[in-house]
Amino acid sequence: MIRHLFKLIWNKKKTHSLLIIEIWASFLVLFGLATLITYNVRNYIEPLGFEYENVWAINLGNNQDTVAISEKVQTIFQRVKGFQEVESISRMSGVYPFSQSNNGRTVKYKNSDVQMSFVAADENLSKTINIPLIAGKWYRNADSVGKYIPVVINRKAETALFENQSAIGKVLKDYDGKAVWVVAGVIDYYKDKAEFMLNKPVMFELLKADQIYDKSLVIRVKPGTDAVFEAKLVKAIAGIAKGWSTEIVYLTDARQKQHNMTLIPVLIFLIICSFLLINVALGLFGILNLSIARRRGEIGLRRAMGATEGSITAQFLGEVWVLATFSLVLGLLFAIQFPLMNVFDIAGGVYITAILIAVVIIFLIVTLCAWYPSRQASRIHPAIALHED
Amino acid sequence: MLSNYIKIAWKVLLRHPFYTFITLFGISLTLTVLMLITSFLDHLIGAHYPETKRDRALYVERIVMSDSSQQSMMSNSMSFKFLTEYAKTLKTAERVTIFSYFNGSNAYVGSQKIKLNITFSDADFWRVSDFKFIEGKPFNEQNIANGDYVAVITDDFKKHYFANSDAPVVGKNVEIENINYKVIGVVKGSPITRPFTHADIYFPYTAPKSNYQNSGMVGNFIAMILAKDASDLKAVQSEFQSNIKKIPLPGKQGGFKYSVLEVRSDPYLENFITTILNGGPGLKNILYGVIGFIVLMLMGLPAINLVNLNVGRILERASEIGVRKAFGAPVKTLMWQFIVENIFITFIGGIIALILTFTLIQIINTSGWIAYADLTINLKVFSISIIVCLIFGLLSGVLPALRMSKLSIIEALKA
Repeated sequence: MIRHLFKLIWNKKKTHSLLIIEIWASFLVLFGLATLITYNVRNYIEPLGFEYENVWAINLGNNQDTVAISEKVQTIFQRVKGFQEVESISRMSGVYPFSQSNNGRTVKYKNSDVQMSFVAADENLSKTINIPLIAGKWYRNADSVGKYIPVVINRKAETALFENQSAIGKVLKDYDGKAVWVVAGVIDYYKDKAEFMLNKPVMFELLKADQIYDKSLVIRVKPGTDAVFEAKLVKAIAGIAKGWSTEIVYLTDARQKQHNMTLIPVLIFLIICSFLLINVALGLFGILNLSIARRRGEIGLRRAMGATEGSITAQFLGEVWVLATFSLVLGLLFAIQFPLMNVFDIAGGVYITAILIAVVIIFLIVTLCAWYPSRQASRIHPAIALHED
Repeated sequence: MLSNYIKIAWKVLLRHPFYTFITLFGISLTLTVLMLITSFLDHLIGAHYPETKRDRALYVERIVMSDSSQQSMMSNSMSFKFLTEYAKTLKTAERVTIFSYFNGSNAYVGSQKIKLNITFSDADFWRVSDFKFIEGKPFNEQNIANGDYVAVITDDFKKHYFANSDAPVVGKNVEIENINYKVIGVVKGSPITRPFTHADIYFPYTAPKSNYQNSGMVGNFIAMILAKDASDLKAVQSEFQSNIKKIPLPGKQGGFKYSVLEVRSDPYLENFITTILNGGPGLKNILYGVIGFIVLMLMGLPAINLVNLNVGRILERASEIGVRKAFGAPVKTLMWQFIVENIFITFIGGIIALILTFTLIQIINTSGWIAYADLTINLKVFSISIIVCLIFGLLSGVLPALRMSKLSIIEALKA
């Protein structure tokens, strides 16, 4: 039966070529869309790793003031901490959670070297945004006296650097091969560019209180704290440091911004693709309708020879499936290159899932489009159909 | 003759409403998407309020320094001093304005927080751009020389900040980060999709916290150079480059040793593309490839669909073709008839698409997804769409016409 169907299609390959191209192209579009969605969904279901509700980030800028910067930052820190609305406060570099900025470092251990996101933060960060540790502990400010700078890395970084060994207590080297850091603790996840971000290696370094660059404050406020307190906070900071700029960002807002940057392109792509596919589906329906109408004689003959309604429907559905399979094989030749050549550095599983999704959807569309015309064909009465010729 | 073809086309359209629907749906949908995309691109890169002189403007956005081995690279906006020295002095330019990128800040009114963007600019900013002043006037050189705490605000900010937003606000104070500024003018705002002129509040660069005093080459300022005429752009660019060449190489900037220094002055589109493609020529090819692929799919799929349908349906008209051929119509005439029919259908689809696009654009403009969005179907967009229409019609008309012309008379008459 299947061999017969293949023969039927092969004999008419010229007339079917356009149909094959159409299905092939739809498959490629679907493959692109499915890849994009699978990639993002996979990232989304991995945990974020910290809490952001009721957390604010305060960005300080010293502008033209160059006198006693670190002292002023520390005074501001103590003043903000003193407010009873503030539950917890931490000082960190400008790459606070959901910020638009990035900082990267190359970290080496023996033969492995890993590119990591780099965050400088003080001892309170894990408490302020609640990052649970899975091994070791978060460094203390007092640890700064040691020979190496204490750091906390995430599990991804631990695996990349040490494979199966524990990272605690190991000394890490910088790009030039100088021993700089010692690992104090390991956390699980820290996706600081929000849920849709790929889980990447990250390293937290103990922030030096006397330096002047890293002056973002992250505070957890009591639930229900509003802009009245915010204004009070800005005023208090301005009172300590004249001429400084203060920008307060709610992490919930910053997270929304990060989400939009991912979701809007996906949404636009999704809308365009669905319209394209509706278009293709309608076209397919029309073409199948036409071609079946033209084969009434053949159907009549088969019915007269004893074929049941079901077998007629099955024949036409089968033909369309064979056609779709032809196109999908062509499409797969293209699509399979992506996981094979590791394009865009995306995990191979994403492409495979995307290919499967695309194949299933193509078969669904094709079946839906062929169902009605096939049913119509099977209802043709042999006497009427044969009478026409 | 033509009207005859169109009459036939009309009758054919009415004969099978379902197929007509598929055809028109495909055409109008594709055109709508294409028109929306072009309209949005035009919104992004065309010369619109308040950057109406974009066609003769050059944008100086970043200084790129790299070391001799091209290993490390630093890219940043520039200091006020640097731009004053190398851009402001251009003799071939009509005017040069130096201003900062917008920066986030907050204002507080009662228990309300207003998120806003601020820009610091010189007085020429208001002459290079074309802001519409609803109230008051821009700040001038005198305000800057005096170091006045004045501000130009947008109508949107005025509505949020002042309780009685109908009353004029010029002369009133706004408090931003604990400093009071006097409102000197109110302008119609610029959308965020035009990042050079977008802001909620504009301060003179001598206002506090602008950091115009920075002494090095890098800082937070950028420049817009207005040429006297679009044909002068090349001359201005080469003068600017000769200015930049005067900087001694190699040099040192904030601990970074550089031996290659690049400061480009580009028209908006080029600047826009280099901003997106900061990753070199490889990325550029990938991006063009992806865009090409998307456009190809977007146009190709519906076109294949239409061709397919048309090829199928041409047999319906086999007897008509047979009769015409039997009476001596040459293949060329028949082909023309089918092409004209297709173009006619495409134009109907085009009109539907135009109405659809217009509605969608109205929705986008009024929805507030982008504040101050001013998407339009302008003449350029429309003419591109018409051309696209024609290509589309030809694409979906030629192939069926070719197949049809190959039918032999006997076969055609028999069907």
